[in-house]
Amino acid sequence: MLSLKQISKYYSSGGAKTYVLNRVDLDVDQGEFVSIMGPSGSGKSTLLNIIGMLDQPSEGYQYFLNEPVHQLKDKQRSALYKQNIGFVFQAYHLIDELTVYENIETPLLYQDVKSAERKALVADILDRFNIVGKKDLFPEQLSGGQQQLVGIARALISKPKLILADEPTGNLNSKQGEEIMELFKKLNKEDGVTVIQVTHSEKNAQYGSRIINLLDGKIDSSIIL
Amino acid sequence: MLKNYIKTAWRNLWKGRVFNLLNLVGLAVAIACCTLIFLTVFYEFTYDRFHTKLDNIYQIYTVSNRAEGAEVTSSVPEPLTPALKAEYPAVKYMTRSADAGALIKYGNKELDENLHFVDEDFLKMFTFPLIEGNKNNVLSGLNNVVITQATAKALFGEEPALNKTVLLNINNVQQPFIVSGILEDISRHSSIEFDLLVRFEHYPNYAANINAWENRTHIAMIEFNNGYDPASFTSQLTPFVKKHFAPSIEILKKDGAKPNEKGDIFWLDIAPFSNNHFATNLGGVEGNPVNKTYPVSLIVIGCFILIIACINFINLSVARGFTRSREVGVRKTLGASKGQLLIQFWIETIMVCLASMVVGLLLCMALINQFKAIFKSRISLSMLLDPVTLFGIIILFLLVTAIAGFYPALMMVRYKTVAVLKGNTASTKPGKLRNTLLVVQFSLSTLLIICTIITWQQINYLQNKPLGYNKTEVLSIPVSGGLIGEKALKLMRNELKNHAEVASVTGAYMNMGRGNDGSSRSSILGFNFGDKEIRTHIQRVDYDYLKTLDIKLLEGREFNPDFAGDSTAVIINETMARQLGTKNVLGSFVPMYDSVAKVQVVGIVKDYNFRSLHEDIAPLTLTMDKHYEINYIFVKVKPGNLVASYDAIKKSWNRQYPNTEFEGSWINENTERQYLNERRLSGIFVSGAVIAIVISCIGLLAISIMIVLQRTKEIGIRKVLGSSVGGIVLLLSMDFVKLVLLASVIAFPIAWWLMNNWLQSFAYRITIQWWVFALATLLAILLAFITISFQSVKAALANPVKSLRSE
Ligand SMILES: Nc1ncnc2c1ncn2[C@@H]1O[C@H](COP(=O)(O)OP(=O)(O)O)[C@@H](O)[C@H]1O
Ligand SMILES: [Mg+2]
Repeated sequence: MLSLKQISKYYSSGGAKTYVLNRVDLDVDQGEFVSIMGPSGSGKSTLLNIIGMLDQPSEGYQYFLNEPVHQLKDKQRSALYKQNIGFVFQAYHLIDELTVYENIETPLLYQDVKSAERKALVADILDRFNIVGKKDLFPEQLSGGQQQLVGIARALISKPKLILADEPTGNLNSKQGEEIMELFKKLNKEDGVTVIQVTHSEKNAQYGSRIINLLDGKIDSSIIL
Repeated sequence: MLKNYIKTAWRNLWKGRVFNLLNLVGLAVAIACCTLIFLTVFYEFTYDRFHTKLDNIYQIYTVSNRAEGAEVTSSVPEPLTPALKAEYPAVKYMTRSADAGALIKYGNKELDENLHFVDEDFLKMFTFPLIEGNKNNVLSGLNNVVITQATAKALFGEEPALNKTVLLNINNVQQPFIVSGILEDISRHSSIEFDLLVRFEHYPNYAANINAWENRTHIAMIEFNNGYDPASFTSQLTPFVKKHFAPSIEILKKDGAKPNEKGDIFWLDIAPFSNNHFATNLGGVEGNPVNKTYPVSLIVIGCFILIIACINFINLSVARGFTRSREVGVRKTLGASKGQLLIQFWIETIMVCLASMVVGLLLCMALINQFKAIFKSRISLSMLLDPVTLFGIIILFLLVTAIAGFYPALMMVRYKTVAVLKGNTASTKPGKLRNTLLVVQFSLSTLLIICTIITWQQINYLQNKPLGYNKTEVLSIPVSGGLIGEKALKLMRNELKNHAEVASVTGAYMNMGRGNDGSSRSSILGFNFGDKEIRTHIQRVDYDYLKTLDIKLLEGREFNPDFAGDSTAVIINETMARQLGTKNVLGSFVPMYDSVAKVQVVGIVKDYNFRSLHEDIAPLTLTMDKHYEINYIFVKVKPGNLVASYDAIKKSWNRQYPNTEFEGSWINENTERQYLNERRLSGIFVSGAVIAIVISCIGLLAISIMIVLQRTKEIGIRKVLGSSVGGIVLLLSMDFVKLVLLASVIAFPIAWWLMNNWLQSFAYRITIQWWVFALATLLAILLAFITISFQSVKAALANPVKSLRSE
C-alpha cells in the first residue's frame, strides 16, 4: 500500500543539519495494523506526517497506492490523502465552533458529497459509534474519550483506506484507551482498514500486527506479532 | 456549502466578538465618515449638471496683460453680446446676466426678491423648465417677468398667476410687468439662482451703456452650435477685439501693459460653464463658486480614513486569524483546499463588512445634520440611492472587502499544517507587515494632527493680528435694496447724532472684510506720474472716515467740510507715498485723472490692512470723489454695551427704512468672514485627525489584546523572576511607542511641505515651529501608550501562577 525508500528528514540550524529521520525504509501492506514506538523526539510523529503527506521528506522516495508521492504536485498530493487517509490526533483537533454532527460532516463537504448522501453517511456513523444523542453538542461539552470517538468517526466518514493515529490515547485514561484500541482492531479486522498508530504504551502496541521501534531517526527493530 | 460557510462564519465571529466588534466599530465609523465626505464631494462636483446643454455653454471673460501680471475679469460691456451674436455664426445663443434685489408687488402683497436681468436666449440655453408659459416667447415682451413657482405661491397664493400684472421696483423705479411664465423652482444644486427674470433692457443704465465698450457691467454666457469645437474660438476673436476694444487697449498700454508672447495686451477668452462652481479665478461668475482645494482635500481625508480603516481591518483580521491557525490545520487534514479555505474566511470578512456598512449608514443618518452644519454641506441621504453613488458604494465595498479581507485570508491559508497542529505558530507571526501598517496608520494620523495645529495657529494669527484700524467697535451697514448711499448716509448721520453711544459716522465705497451683503468691491486706478506708471486702490470715503475707523494719520489732515477744495483732495497711505517717491508728498499735486485737474495730497495715513491678510498692503488713495457711490455706512460706538448699541442703531435704521432689511455687522465679524475657507479647511483637518486617531487607537487596542494573549507566558515568567508591574508595562508598550515615533518622523517632511505650501497663500503668515511637530508626536505617543496600557497593565497585574498553569 505504501512504501518509503531511503527517506530522510533534517532541519538545518546554523549550517549544521539535524537529522530527525535518517534513511528510513518502510513498507506497509494493505490490512496491516502497525504500531510505531520509540522515545520522545525519536521522529515518530515526523514519520507519520510524512506518510500522511502533511509533511515532506528532505530526501528519498515515497510511494502511496503505487503513486510516486515525491513527484506529485501539492494539489495532487492533497487529493490523494483527502480520499484515502484519515487522521486521528492525540489532541483530538475537533473544530470547536462545529457540533459533533458538523465535525463529522466536514470532510464530506470538502469532497463535494451531495447533501442527501452526506446525511445518510453521518447518520450511519453516529449510529455505529453510539453517539446519536450527542450529535448537536459542541466538543467542549464532551469528555476526552468521547471527543476522540468523534475524531475517529470523522476520520472514518470518507471511508479511508488508511488511518494514521498519533498517540490517539495519549490524553485518555486507560479504560477509554482500551475502547479506542478495540475500535481500531475491529475496523482493521472487519473493514480491512489499514491502521498505523504511534503509541507509548506496550499494551496498546500489542493490538497491532507489527511493532516498529524508532530510535534517533532510524528503525531500530520491526517485530511482527 | 454556502450555508455551512455562513454558519461557521457566524459562530467564529461570535466567538471572537470582542475583536470583531472593535473591527466593526472602526470600519463603521470610517464608512459613516467616508459616506458623508464622498457625498459632499459628489455634490460639489455635480453642480449644474441638470442643464442638458451644459457642455455647449461657456462664459466669456477678459484678460488684461498688465505690467504686474494678467488680470482676469468676467465683466463685459453691454454691446459685446449683440456684436458677438451678429458676427459669429458659431454662437447659437448668448445671454447677458446680472442680478439685483427687487421689490415685487401685487395687490397689497410685497416681496423682496432676487432678480436676474437676462436676454431672451437665457431660457433656451439653460434648463429651467416652464410650468406655464411658452419657452419661445416668454421673454419676448419688454415688460414680461418670469417668476418661480415659490414666488407665484407667495404672491398669488392659489390664484392663477399667468398674465397678471405686477409692480416691480428696480433701482427705485416702479414699473408694471406682466407675468408671462412660471418656472419650476430652481434646484439647490444650481449656480444660477433667482426668483424673477426680466429682460436685460431693464438693467440700470442700460440705455446709457448701450454703446459703451469701456464700461463693463455684467457677465455673459454663450451657447455654441452643436458639434462646434470652441477650442479655436478665442483666436478667432482677435479681429473682433481689435475692432471693438481699441480704446481699452490704448488705456492699458498707457498703464504700462506689455504684450504677451502672442503679442496680445488684451483678449477675450471662454471658460466652460460646467466648471462654473469651481471658477474662483474668473473674477465673478453666477452663484458662489468654491475653491477646488476644499473638495479635493475632502477626498484626500476620506481616502486617509478609508486606508486607516482598511489597515485596521487587515491587522485585526490577521491577529485574529492567528488564533485560528489550528482550525486551518485541521481543515487541511480533512481535505480542505486553499480555495475553499479562502472562501470561508472571505465570507467572514464580507459579513463583518456588511454589518459595518449597516451600522455605518445608521451612524451616517445620525450624524448628517451636524455634518451639514459644520461643513456647510447640502447633501441628503437620498443621494445614496442615485445610481451613480450606488454603483460607487458597491465598488468601494468590494474594494474594501477585497483588500481588507483577502490578504488576511491568504495569510491564514498559508499556515504550515504540521506546525500549527503542533501548536507552533511562532514562525508565522505577522510582525513585519503589522508594524508597517501601524506605521502608515500613525503617519497619517500624525500628519493630520500637525495640519490641524498649524491651520489653527494661522487662523488664530489672522484673527489677532492688528489691522491698523478699529474692528471691534465699528459697525458696517451695507446700503442696498436700491437705496442711494449718499442720501442714506446723510439720514443716518442726522438720526444718530443724538445717540449718546455713537462716537462717529462715516461712509465708504469699499467694505472692511466681507459684510452680510456678501459682496466685495475694489477699484484700481492707474495713471502716469513722471516717468512711472502708478496704480492705486481707490476708496471713496466721507468725512470722519479716519476718526471712525481709528486709522492713524501720519502727516497732514483728514477731509474737513471747512476746506472747500476737499472734493478734489486725496489722502494716501504710506505705501502709496513710497510709490510716488517724491520728497514732500504731502501738499503735492498728483495727476490722478489724466484728463481732469490734478488732485492735492492733504494727508498720509499709516498703512492698514484694507484687504484680507492673504494680500499685502497695496497703495491706497482715499478720496471724496462723488463718482464713486457710498455703499457702506460705518458707525463707531463708544465701548461698553455693544449689543445694546447694535440694537439701537438697528432700530434707527428700521425707522428710516422700514422696507429695507438692516444688514449691519461688526467689522471683526466681517474680517473673520474673509477666512471662512480657512476655517472650513481647519474643520476638515480637525475632524479627520480625530477620526483617524480614534480608528487607529481601536486597531492598536485590538492588537495589544492579541500581543498580551501571545505573551502571557513570558509575562508570567518575568513576574516570577521579579519584574515589576511598571517594567512589564514598559516592555509591552515600548515596541509600539517606537513605531509611533517612526511614523511621526515619516509624517514630518510631508506635513511641513503641505503646510508650507498652504501658508504661501497668505501674505501674512506664521512660521512653522519645531515644537508643533514635537507636540503632535507627543500626542500620538501618549494616545498610543494609553491605549496599550489598558491591556498591558491588566496583564502585568495578573497572577503569574495562573498564566503559567494555563499553558
Ligand atoms: N520545525 C522543526 N525544526 C527543528 N526541529 C524540529 C522541527 N520539528 C521537529 N523537530 C525535531 O524533530 C525531532 C522529532 O520530532 P517528533 O517527530 O515530533 O518526535 P516524536 O514524535 O518521536 O516525539 C524532535 O527532536 C524535534 O525537536
Ligand atoms: Mg510525537
